[in-house]
Amino acid sequence: MAHAHHPEHPSNDAPTERRSFLGFLSMAIGGLISAVLGINIGRFAIGPAFSGSDEGTWLDLGKLADIPEGAPVKRSVIVSKIAGWGKFNDQRLVWITRKGNEVKCFTAVCPHLGCTVNARGENFVCACHNSEWSTAGALKGGPSPRDLDTLEHKVEGEALRIKYEDYKQGISQKEVV
Amino acid sequence: MSQNKSPLAGLYDWLDERTGIKAGVSAMLDEPIRGGARFAYVFGSILLTLFILQVVGGIVLSLYYVPSADHAHTSVSYIQKVVPGGALIRGIHHYGASAMVIVAVLHLAQAYLFGAYKNKRELLWGSGGLMLLIIFGFAFTGYLLAWDQAAYFGTKVGTSIAGEMPVVGSIQQKIILGGNDLTTITLSRFFTVHVFLLPLALAGLAGLHLFLFRRAGPAGPFHNRDDHKTERFYPGQMFRDTVAIAIVFSILVWLSGAMPAELGPVADPSSDYLARPPWYFLPLFQLLKYFPGQLSLIPTVLLPGALFGALFLLPFFDRNPERHPFRRPVAVGVLAVILLSAIGLMWLSKVQDHSDPEVAKKLLEQEEEQRGFFNAPFKPQEIGAAAVPAAAAKPGAGTTVAANVPAPPPAYVESCADCHGDKGQGTDDGPDLLGISAKEKRTKEDLGKILEDSRAYGLKKPMPKNFPDLSAEDKQKIVDWMLALKK
Repeated sequence: MAHAHHPEHPSNDAPTERRSFLGFLSMAIGGLISAVLGINIGRFAIGPAFSGSDEGTWLDLGKLADIPEGAPVKRSVIVSKIAGWGKFNDQRLVWITRKGNEVKCFTAVCPHLGCTVNARGENFVCACHNSEWSTAGALKGGPSPRDLDTLEHKVEGEALRIKYEDYKQGISQKEVV
Repeated sequence: MSQNKSPLAGLYDWLDERTGIKAGVSAMLDEPIRGGARFAYVFGSILLTLFILQVVGGIVLSLYYVPSADHAHTSVSYIQKVVPGGALIRGIHHYGASAMVIVAVLHLAQAYLFGAYKNKRELLWGSGGLMLLIIFGFAFTGYLLAWDQAAYFGTKVGTSIAGEMPVVGSIQQKIILGGNDLTTITLSRFFTVHVFLLPLALAGLAGLHLFLFRRAGPAGPFHNRDDHKTERFYPGQMFRDTVAIAIVFSILVWLSGAMPAELGPVADPSSDYLARPPWYFLPLFQLLKYFPGQLSLIPTVLLPGALFGALFLLPFFDRNPERHPFRRPVAVGVLAVILLSAIGLMWLSKVQDHSDPEVAKKLLEQEEEQRGFFNAPFKPQEIGAAAVPAAAAKPGAGTTVAANVPAPPPAYVESCADCHGDKGQGTDDGPDLLGISAKEKRTKEDLGKILEDSRAYGLKKPMPKNFPDLSAEDKQKIVDWMLALKK
């Protein structure tokens, strides 16, 4: 392209004041657009993360009489949780110990970092980082910050029911998520 | 670094010493504009901004969108109805697609009218034409992703057109669909093309286009009056571009609020949905009506092929250096004919849809259904079997309702039970009807009027459709049954 003028020296550069004013105005408009967009993207991306609070629901664990006494018994329950567009009915593990009519129910989620707790001999253990609890749920050793989390339960007629809830990990108190 | 410099300027110097950023910025901002800054030159910048906006919006939408036939629609509905800012971001993405088509056509028409494809700009012009094709590809693949009725049946027609081509048709259709039918696999590959391949292609071409543009320099005005004048991009042209972008952005935001991006009920392959393409494909759609059988190749393949072929070849056969549109009557005439025919065909398709009572009625029904779905509250999709609620296991519980309910009339089971429950107990889609006659403004007469036309009655949440297909006798039976329902 044969330019009439050298591009490095445009012939009619606007006065500096006008230059900087138009430049400022462009930046301001651009900033406004970005702000409208940015705020809404932020709301969109982060909003739903804070909207949910899961209430525990009472779930059936079958007949109390069907749960053997002594060693811990593993049962699974279906827990419904809303996650964004879906209501997910997923299985969760529950540990139950029973002596006569005295029942204790624990989540199988380790209070340390959330691995799955298993029963081994006279203990509950988390194989991830070697936390140990007694079958009564009392912390015996390892990095877990607290006892195994008990779940609220009740016996109605013959049926054993529990209220399944998730608890925060890594802290010494039991606190619902 | 001197003492009186602001920290920001200091940082800028620091960065420049290591990256040479100052030279880069001035190379961008000091672009010479022949003949001075003009509002006429804003279209390229608008397109680039729209593309960036679509990319950003698309990335954000993918936070919740699921490209699978059994979740796609629910996830889009969730974005539209529940997520904060979702209606706006989806609206900008939806209307941004149309805006890209409009501005790209304007940009192209202007380059054509101003003769900006002349003088060694064949590649610049050709890369622009390719980008227009890619924009249509974006529109076509993006349309399916919502997986609602319009998306499903519209894409079905689109892919069938691809299957009509001689020789390669059926193979081509199979490749596009990922099989014999429009399935979740089709959705996946449309998603891949829409989200990965086309953006890469468009970004690459846009880069090439800009590079070629800066190399050739702007064509400048088509007359010689302002030839003595040259202005830099910053600030005059940048300001004009920014104002134009702000206007387009405001329109997108306004549209997203005033006319939210549409979303109809989930795709139902068994329905007799009447598909109508989005506005930019209406000229093609209308032409299809005039070319039966094998002749349909003319509007679907030959005509678009000839148009784009001519577009790419234009700078090679038009060697006339004249750029002023007034001195190129044939060129201007051809563009006018093409644009006017396209607009005429769009208009004709709308007129025909309105004048055919059958079609008009069906389209109106579909619109009503769409509105009904759109206004209904969001319902999360159930994944996996839910646990039996503990209360229902109690003997006696749950049977109390049924005991008080007389058997509903057949017309109720047919038309109402889906939403209001088989015993009038209500569902997530409709309120319960138990004890309805005890409520305010729900006398026998009121219930009759609501059944006649829930919208005309002024129901706050009208039923998805009215029920003129119920006989007066059936309606009476349903009303009588409702009156007998006790809580």
